[in-house]
This record gives sequence, structure tokens and C-alpha cells, in this order.
Amino acid sequence: MLNAGIPMEAFLVVSTLMFFAGVYGFLTRRNLITILMSVELILNSVNINFLVFNRFLFPDKLQGHFFSLFIIAIAAAEAAVAIAIIINIYRHFNTINVEDVDKMRY
Amino acid sequence: MNLNSFLLMRHEIVLIAVALIILIAEIFTSEQNKGRIRGLAIILFALNTIIGFFPATTGTLFGGMFTTIPLHIVVKNILNIGTLIVLIQSNAWLKTEENSDKFPEFYVLLISTLVGMFYMISAGDFLMFYLGLELATIPLAALVAYDRFRSQSAEGGIKLILSSAFSSGIMLYGISMIYGMYGSIYFDMLSPAMAMNSLTILAFIFFFAGMAFKISLVPFHLWAADVYEGAPVNITSYLSVISKGAAVFILTVILFKVFPTISDLWQKVVWVIAVMTMTIGNLFAIRQQNLKRFIAFSSISQAGFFLLGVIGGNEMGMTAIVYYMLVYIFSNLGVFGVIAIISNKSGKENMDDYNGLYHTNPMLSLTMMLALFSLAGIPPVAGFFGKFFLFTAAAQKGFYILVLIATINTIISLYYYLLIVKAMFINKSENPIPYFKSDFYTKLGLGICIAGLVIVGFASGIWETISKLAFGM
Amino acid sequence: MSGEFLILFFIVAVVLVGGAIIFSNYAAPTSENAVKHDPYECGIPTKGLTWLQFNVGYYLFAIIFLVFDVEIVFVFPWAVVMKDLGMSAFIEIVIFFFVLVLGLMYAWKKKALVWE
Repeated sequence: MLNAGIPMEAFLVVSTLMFFAGVYGFLTRRNLITILMSVELILNSVNINFLVFNRFLFPDKLQGHFFSLFIIAIAAAEAAVAIAIIINIYRHFNTINVEDVDKMRY
Repeated sequence: MNLNSFLLMRHEIVLIAVALIILIAEIFTSEQNKGRIRGLAIILFALNTIIGFFPATTGTLFGGMFTTIPLHIVVKNILNIGTLIVLIQSNAWLKTEENSDKFPEFYVLLISTLVGMFYMISAGDFLMFYLGLELATIPLAALVAYDRFRSQSAEGGIKLILSSAFSSGIMLYGISMIYGMYGSIYFDMLSPAMAMNSLTILAFIFFFAGMAFKISLVPFHLWAADVYEGAPVNITSYLSVISKGAAVFILTVILFKVFPTISDLWQKVVWVIAVMTMTIGNLFAIRQQNLKRFIAFSSISQAGFFLLGVIGGNEMGMTAIVYYMLVYIFSNLGVFGVIAIISNKSGKENMDDYNGLYHTNPMLSLTMMLALFSLAGIPPVAGFFGKFFLFTAAAQKGFYILVLIATINTIISLYYYLLIVKAMFINKSENPIPYFKSDFYTKLGLGICIAGLVIVGFASGIWETISKLAFGM
Repeated sequence: MSGEFLILFFIVAVVLVGGAIIFSNYAAPTSENAVKHDPYECGIPTKGLTWLQFNVGYYLFAIIFLVFDVEIVFVFPWAVVMKDLGMSAFIEIVIFFFVLVLGLMYAWKKKALVWE
């Protein structure tokens, strides 16, 4: 069984690392696709959190599982719209580097 | 589960039906008949707005995931009216050549976001709330990037989708912590269990930061100005009015329902954020020359005023928020209606271009003036009462310093709203914007806004109705 | 296994792997030549830029595929418990598919499925 082996904390360490890797990537990366990947990293770390809490702490209720299923589906929809807009940006600016996409400024 | 209980979701089901009918019409009509979809959409949506006012049953569905109470129905009807005005106002813009091949999508996407907001308002647990939130933001990003021949539009779209995805990621991380601690995502089960400990505080901060991103509160506001400027004018009006109003409402509901036991904490957070939002939004608004950016910053500072009702934390605050939402819809849509007409007809969006507008377009200028007075909170029009009730709600709880700061900010905002009025009525211009003849729909849209401003300002019954419903919750 | 073991395990992993890399860097004989820096391409020298641009049509298909691919997330749990839930669940999934098919028809109508 899963319970006998790896402790819950180990999973949480992984998900926390993933979350902050995602935040770091979102703030420092310059390529729009990579930024999108960072966001997916954040969402997946949340998924791990939900599944782990569900599995270890509240195994009789499936709320965590539902939540992560919906997060997966919504992340896909988000990615689809974001990629469509990125294609459009590429057509306008000929680049997907955030530093060059700056028509509007304060 | 019998099918009758689905009637609880009547507002949502009717809206989904409208969106699907428009989509089917778009798929199956030939090119030359396509123009009729515009009329069909407005008629269907007007019907939906009317159906919304029929007496509705209240209760819960799906084991508590979905709840409706009378106050939710009031808010949904208010949002319906606002969206109807947006649809009417955008009719002239959708008729233009560049939109001829894609205007049905505008309706489908816009109505989808409204469905999302409705589910968000009626949410009884975090899952439904999250679903509604995403349904409300993802189509909005597509709408912001709607104008595919303008590069600013695409830039605004990517900024909206990335910052909203990031913020919902942060918010979800907070929700996952709450789930891990209390083992439930249902609002009703969470609120008695919630206790003040460090993990709860951390989870709350994550959650609040995510929500603050969506409402564009300072210091999470940086995306707002670019998105508002990049989007087509009609979408900007929708973003700044409908979507912001819905998000503020749901934030209030969650703060009351889920976090009442740590209200000492969130009142401090909201206090600081409200002061920063009002002040910084105002200070940036003064500097702007582009009117869309100007309204973007002014609506950031208006969100700060909404927070005065949130911090009140009682029925009075709730009523004030809903009432101010109604007022804000009419006033901001009035301003945006005028900006949209002028921007679509002449392509001018700067404040200097409005010099001498009164001499060429007296009706437009008067409409704009009334709406701006309402935003600023000058007595005869509705905006004054809206602000007054918000201030009262905060003062009742003893936040006198906050109310004082808010009053100072009102005076600052009065200054820059009057700048536009001065440009229109007093400043002379070499080449003023020529006279426009507006079509029926444009006049209707502005007419509803003006009528709303005057009626809401003078009819005290509206306040009492909302108040009664809010106290009943 | 407790937290201390995890930390110990982590330190041992870093020391072993990092140590091996650093040690081999010093100990192994090295030789440099141009061929070593070529990307491996079946032994044939590469022609042109390796950073090719893909046809944007791939992305369009990928987007459409993505949406219809992920929808299985909802269908699979439904299929597992379909018999227990009965008719109302069946009607719900039919509505779900109806909306999905509308999306597909929309993509079809907009000629998104035609390869140019």
C-alpha cells in the first residue's frame, strides 16, 4: 500500500517545490510559451496537493479527486485559448518574447 | 433527483440556451442572412432579462454545490440588465465591416462569461466557485483579443489570460491548503471549523491575493490598464463593470461565509488594500490622456470604494455593495457608451480630442456629464447615494479614518472627472469632433443608462428592496 | 521513514551524483574537435537552421485536439458508474456531447479542419 511507503510530507515537498518553480518561471521567463508552461506547473502542483490530502487525510470523501479532475480540464481550456492568442501575437509582432510585446506602456 | 429541482438554476439554463441558439444560428445560417443574428441576439437576451424577473424558487442543488437566495437573484438581474446595455451599445460596432465574419462569436463568448459569473455568484463550494470563475475569465481573454487586426488587442488578451491563470493558480493553492486542513470544500462546513492558525492565515493570504488579481486591487492591478486599453471599447466596458461587480460580490460572500472567524485578520488586510487601491488608482488616473486608460484607473479606484462595503462586514455593507453595483453599471456604461461612439466613429480616444464637444454633439456631452457626475458622486444623481451608503456601512463599524481617506479620494476624483466636463463644455478647439447621427440602438443604450441613473437616484424603493433581501440572508 | 532520513538521503544523492560529475571532469582524458559539437543527425552534417518554423496549422489542430482530448476526463468517471446513476446521468452526458459536437461543427464550418 501507498501508506506504508512514502510519507505525505514527501509529496508535499514535491508539490511545494513545483509551485515555487512555477512562480519563479512565470516571473523570470521571457518566452510566452514557457510562461504558459510555468502556469501549468503551478496548477499541477495544486493537483498533487489535492490528491495527496484526499488520499492520506480524507480517503472516504472524493472532493479532492473531483477538484483535480476539473483543474486538469480547465487548464487545457486555458492553454488552448492562450496558445491561440500567442499565435495571433506572433503574427503581429513576429516574436513571442515578452520584452518585444510592449505596444502599451504607462 | 427530479428534473423540477433544475428550475433552481433557471437564470443559468436560460442563458445557456440563448448562447447555444446563437451558436446554432451561426453554424446553420447562410452568409447573406447573418446580419439577422444581431437582432436575434438582442431580442433573446432581452427576453432572458425579462424572464429573470419572474418570481423564482430558492434552495440548494447538487448536495450544496449550488445555492440560490433572493439576494443572488437580485444580483443576477442587475448583471443581466448591465449586459443587455452592453449588447445594445455594441450593436453599432458589430455592424462594421471588420466584424462581419465573427460577430456571432462575440455574443456566444459574452454570454458564456455571464453564465460563469452566475455560477460563481450561486456557488456553495469552492469547486463551483472555481468553475464559474474560469468560465467567466477564459472567454473574456478571447474577447479582449477579439480585434485581431490590432496588435494591442492581442497584447491585452495575452496579459489577461496569463495573469488570470497565474492568479487562479495562487488562489487554488490557498484553497488546497484549506482543504488539507479542514477536509471540505463546502462553504457551510468550513465556516464553523475555521480557526485562527498560521496555516489558515497563509491559505487566506494566497486566496485573497488571487481574488485581488481578478478585481485588480492595488498592488495586483498592473495588468488592468493594459488590458482595458487593448480591448475593444465595448469589451472594456463589460470588463470594468459587469465582471468587476460580480467578482466583488463573490469576494464579499466568501469573506462572510467562509472566513467569519478570522474577520479581525481580513479586516486589516482589506483596510490597507482599500486605502492603497483608492489612492493609487486616483493618482494614476490624473496622469492619463487616453480616455480608456483613464477610465481603467478610475475603475480601479472605484473597486477601492467597493471595499468599504466589504469591510463593513454586515447586511448594511452587502446592501450598499449591491446598490452601488447597480449605480456603477449605469454610470460607467453611460461614460463608455459615449467613448465607444466617438472612438468608433472618429477613432479619437484622447482627452484633448473632446475639446468643444458640447458645441457639436450637445446630447452626447450632456449624457457624459451626467454619468461622470454620478461616478464622482455629485448629489442629484444616483452615484451620490451609492457612495453615501458605502461610507455609512464602513462608518457603522467604526472605520472612521478609512471613511475620511475615502472622502478625500472622492474629492480628488471629482477633480479629474470635472477635467473631462471642462474639456467638453468650456475648452475651445480648432477642429472639434464633427456631429454624429446615432442609430436607434445607440440612443436606446444611452437612454437606458440615463433613465437608470435618474430613477435609481430618486426611487428609494430600490434600496429598500435590496436591503430587505440582504437582511433576510 | 522520517524527515531526517529524507534530508540525509537528499544530501547523499547530491554528494554522490555531484561528486561523480566533478571527479570525472578531472580524471577523464578529454579531447576536443569540431565533430563532437555537432548535433547528432544520423551521421550526416545538418543543412540549414535546426530551429525550423512549424506550419501554424499544426497549432490549430493541436488546440482542437486538446479540447476534445481532455473531455475524456469527464466521460471516463461517468462511464464507470453509468449503470448506478441511471437515466438522468445518461441525459446529462448526451447534453454534454451535444455541446461538444456543436463546437466541432463550428470548427468545421470555420474551415479549421482543412489543411492548407
